[in-house]
Amino acid sequence: MTSMAVRLMPHLLAWGAMLLLLARGCAGRRGTVAAAAGAGFIGGIVAAPAAARLLGTDASFDTAKIVLGAAFLVYCAVAVAALYGSGRSSAANWGERLTCSAPVAAAGAFFTGVAGGAVCGFRSLSGSVTTVCAAAAAGLLLLPLMLLVERRLPAAFVVSPASLVSGITSLLLFTSSSLLRLDLFSPLTMKVMKFSHDFVHQFFESMLIPDHLFFTARLWGFVGVLFSNAVGFWGALVVWLAPALLVICAVALEPLPAVAHLREGARRRKTIAAAIRAKRQRLAVPLLALAVFSCAVYQSKFPAVEYWDPKPIQVSASPAGEIFIPKKGEVDLEDGKLHKFLFKKGGTEARFFIVMTPAGGLTVVLDACSICKPDGYGQTEGTVICYYCKTLIPLDTVGRPGGCNPVPLPCALKADGVHIDGVTLVNRWVDTVQATARVGGEGK
Amino acid sequence: MPSIIETSQLTRNYGEICALKPLDLKVPEGEWLSVMGHSGSGKSTFMNLVGGLDRPSGGELMVGGENLLALSEDGLARFRREFVGIIFQQHHLVPYLTAVENVMMAQYFHSVPDESEAITALQRVGLGHRLKNRPGELSGGEQQRVCIARAIINSPKLLLGDEPTGNLDHKSTLMVMELLKELRAEVRFTVIMVTHNQEVAAWGDRTIYLDDGVLVREERVGQR
Repeated sequence: MTSMAVRLMPHLLAWGAMLLLLARGCAGRRGTVAAAAGAGFIGGIVAAPAAARLLGTDASFDTAKIVLGAAFLVYCAVAVAALYGSGRSSAANWGERLTCSAPVAAAGAFFTGVAGGAVCGFRSLSGSVTTVCAAAAAGLLLLPLMLLVERRLPAAFVVSPASLVSGITSLLLFTSSSLLRLDLFSPLTMKVMKFSHDFVHQFFESMLIPDHLFFTARLWGFVGVLFSNAVGFWGALVVWLAPALLVICAVALEPLPAVAHLREGARRRKTIAAAIRAKRQRLAVPLLALAVFSCAVYQSKFPAVEYWDPKPIQVSASPAGEIFIPKKGEVDLEDGKLHKFLFKKGGTEARFFIVMTPAGGLTVVLDACSICKPDGYGQTEGTVICYYCKTLIPLDTVGRPGGCNPVPLPCALKADGVHIDGVTLVNRWVDTVQATARVGGEGK
Repeated sequence: MPSIIETSQLTRNYGEICALKPLDLKVPEGEWLSVMGHSGSGKSTFMNLVGGLDRPSGGELMVGGENLLALSEDGLARFRREFVGIIFQQHHLVPYLTAVENVMMAQYFHSVPDESEAITALQRVGLGHRLKNRPGELSGGEQQRVCIARAIINSPKLLLGDEPTGNLDHKSTLMVMELLKELRAEVRFTVIMVTHNQEVAAWGDRTIYLDDGVLVREERVGQR
């Protein structure tokens, strides 16, 4: 319970910050916005576990990811619109009209609440009903608290419509990035890397870059950069931070007020100084959003996740060459955790693990896949993760062949335990390790 | 004419020394008030209080509708920035900045610098040909004119002079006083000028005499 509370803390803090921004950004509609956000939060925190139960964890996480991705795309559109309108006097008006309109403000707050609540709901999936209720209560308690805090904030803390979207999106993506299965930055990295690889490949295929003598090794070195892992990270970083930078540019490019009609020089300068000061104040939220987006990247790159990674238990085969692992022996195979084993034969050490799938059956797989170096797997949040390439494999699909899934191992599941043929295990391990021996580097 | 300065029982003590004893005074808007008295009579203390450079020990002090006793440090800074222009006897120009940069510095602390406006102000005080000279390259009278340009650049309602001609020869004194008179006629700010010089005091509409922190006498120009 305590560890779950600690885990939920950053999500609730992010939720509080979102409330603060909503209250200040829609200052004329505090009541409406607070009610809608609160209702959304409760809806989200209840809907997440319900969806996981009804649709399965994969489908529910995928749906949440799509929603978060859509929010990011909307944010991109808002950022472009803000930049487009920054040179026009009526630029801010459309946004202000929207945030002042009760239905739009309420809808935005409701969506924010649903998303914030859903992330908390997904985080507490492994917790009890009490945990979910406590998180919901804490989220609701933050409502009046943040409204009070907002009233104490200085008037200079201005949140323009584009800044509001900037702040909310950054907090949403920050809070979701701490859940491996809701993190958007990692998949974005992969997409950018794939795009770069496909693009260069197509370029060569269409003979746009001929294999010419003038293409020196040095030049090929530059082309090679496009195939490196760094392309994915840096490319994704550009896409990730671009909208926040656009909003910052939009604020910075806002024109200063016309002062030619003011006769007194001091008044002219004072008007300009006030406009510059207001512009700097409006920059605070987009700059903070940029920092939060950067934190989300850090969180995605270095996730603070504790993997379940037990030390392999050494097993031996019977004279007939059969390895038997009882269901309730040194470990309980049906406790939902991944259990690793080590079998030595000749000079070969073969690792495998047994895990219970959500369907309720035991699955036996090698602690290696057919494409990565055999660095093994760890378990977290209903998934196993390949330590080499950091790919998450949902437990539902463990036992199926292909991709980075651990290589399935034939076995006999009986009432007393699991029976594995030692020779088959060693052969399969050797085949797999030989196939992946060429893989170098340290993974993505 | 409404009063720009109103004091009631205004006092200032430095420890056991009473630099200004309870003073009741009203200065109408647009007036040129000369403050005379021997050294230690409380002239500069009075000017510092009115200009928001110092805080009174007691009494009431309203300047331009603001109760200076109630203002915070930030409020006082804003008041000085926007309401008051000060000309010192020692000029207090930044030695490594040019004349125009010295004027722009006052603009910077007020709002934003505007070089063309600073140049116009220096041209207005007859220093159009000395824009890029540093204070060390200017005569005393010229330095004082830079001070005047710096003091008026932010359109203050109240111009304070602490013996502005104390260091100047007769010719330069006349030039500076003439300039102040012209500017006042143009902009209509209120002037409070502390001086030892009877001739300089005579440029004002009214002269008050302080002695040991007490207002002992006042004269209108017509009475002298």
